[in-house]
Amino acid sequence: MTDQMEKRLADFVLYGSVIAVLIFFYIPIATLILFSFTQSRFLSWPISEFSTRWYGALLADRDFWSSLGNSALLAVLATVFATLLGIGGAFAWSRYKFRFQWGFRILTFAPLLFPQLLLGVVMLLWFSVLAGWLNLSPGLWSAVIGHVIYITPFCIVIISVQMQGYDDTLDYAAEDAGATRWQILREITLPLIWPGIFSAAIFAFLLSWGNFYITYSLSGSTRTLPTFVFSGIAVGSSPIYPALATLTFLPALVLIFAVGSLRKRAARRRLIKIAEG
Amino acid sequence: MAEMQKSWRDGALRLSTLPLLVLMGLFFVIPLIMTALLSFQGTQYYRLVWTWDLNVWTDVFSQIHYWKIMWRTLTMALVCTLLCTVLAIPIAYGMLHRLSRWSDQITLLMVFAFLTDAVLKTFGWVLFLDRSGVLNGTLESIGFPPAAVNVLFSPNATMIGMVYNLLPYTIFTTALSMARIDRDLVLAARDAGATRLRAFVEVTLPLAKPGIWAGAVLVFVLSLGVFLEPKVMGGGTSPLAAELIRQSFETRVNWPLGAALTLVLIVIGAAVLAVAGALAFWQARRGSND
Repeated sequence: MTDQMEKRLADFVLYGSVIAVLIFFYIPIATLILFSFTQSRFLSWPISEFSTRWYGALLADRDFWSSLGNSALLAVLATVFATLLGIGGAFAWSRYKFRFQWGFRILTFAPLLFPQLLLGVVMLLWFSVLAGWLNLSPGLWSAVIGHVIYITPFCIVIISVQMQGYDDTLDYAAEDAGATRWQILREITLPLIWPGIFSAAIFAFLLSWGNFYITYSLSGSTRTLPTFVFSGIAVGSSPIYPALATLTFLPALVLIFAVGSLRKRAARRRLIKIAEG
Repeated sequence: MAEMQKSWRDGALRLSTLPLLVLMGLFFVIPLIMTALLSFQGTQYYRLVWTWDLNVWTDVFSQIHYWKIMWRTLTMALVCTLLCTVLAIPIAYGMLHRLSRWSDQITLLMVFAFLTDAVLKTFGWVLFLDRSGVLNGTLESIGFPPAAVNVLFSPNATMIGMVYNLLPYTIFTTALSMARIDRDLVLAARDAGATRLRAFVEVTLPLAKPGIWAGAVLVFVLSLGVFLEPKVMGGGTSPLAAELIRQSFETRVNWPLGAALTLVLIVIGAAVLAVAGALAFWQARRGSND
């Protein structure tokens, strides 16, 4: 094989695979968006008549609104706790050195190495025992704990990556200048790792928002959007779900592009600083 | 980056680790222990009875049915892991070195597809692959017979769903470690007369190994626990272990059995990871002795 032929073949495989995978990733998403505008009760192709009637039907569905509220509450609570714990965990992971650090790392990373359903089931057993003692029943509170256990390791990893480039001499300089440890944390460390914290929070929110397995096992009779959809499509496909999908895609899209542009801005500011310095 | 040596008496260390340790202890370690203990109990009339015997375990080991499902789960997980790992390599490399101008946008598109609700996406696949779905409808309109592609509600559909939902993990980890490779090493290999393919196989791939392994491990673990894809896309015709576990908790209300099956699946997963880890370690040692 000549070099030229080899290059052409490589180009074909590489360009082709990226384009193919993007199409593959968007097949179900595009299908849902298309079907959300159908007039018919049956979701079959081709769509003979377009309408927005299923959006109306969806917005009039009370179960939809209650699961939307539950999803939002669950995601906000899980994001706050997972991000705060993730900041602490990231310090302990990558900035400190202490006895039993390996044990700490393994313990805080282990939930990622469990299939989510098993994590949920294992916690459900314990929560049911607890609930029996405390006279509670599993609901949103247990789902929040489950989400925090599962999502915190992701936050630790994302914030730790941001800490990789952290210059410790800044801390020492501030200390020499008489700053207290709290001041150093607030004025120097946190602003510098802020992009990492922000990305971790967005990631946590989306992971919690879209989570199915853990919510399914832990939320009792409380429904979030994924479990609401699952209970609907397990019975038979209803035409409101494509509309639901299309509506919930929008906030996720906005959040993800917000992170993208924020990262780019942060990178540009760093470049400007280097150029000026 | 210099790391700060801390003692356990240090306030900052306690503040950053103790809440996490308490949480993981209370809601991760204790539940695991609970699960192990529960597997030695029994049920009567849908109620848990604290019997402390091995009945559930003798049941699990005597019924071939459970092991058939475990075996199917393991083979599906391994095939899915292999597919995701191999497919991710050209995709990650192409993103970084052919479409590098667009790599930010491509990454965002992938992240978006990855982070949207898996239940909805799986449902989207059903609408696409259905007998009267987008694919068959389009094929019919250009002259194919009706329902030409009949893949939905079969193990193959399950596999499509699993690869769809898990492929992003291997793409991201592989791309991350490929992005860190010093391009000069590849150019040096090319200068020394290596063909493109040889430079890729002997320089890029070995250096990207950590990311490829990390992605494979993640996908393997996650694919052991799927029940969404087998149920929604596979049509429940060939259930996997997670479905079995879900049924023993929900339908049969037999918690000790569910706990025992959960432990079996965890042990199978851990055993495969241990073998893979030992192989990787052995290979690395042999490599360094050369």
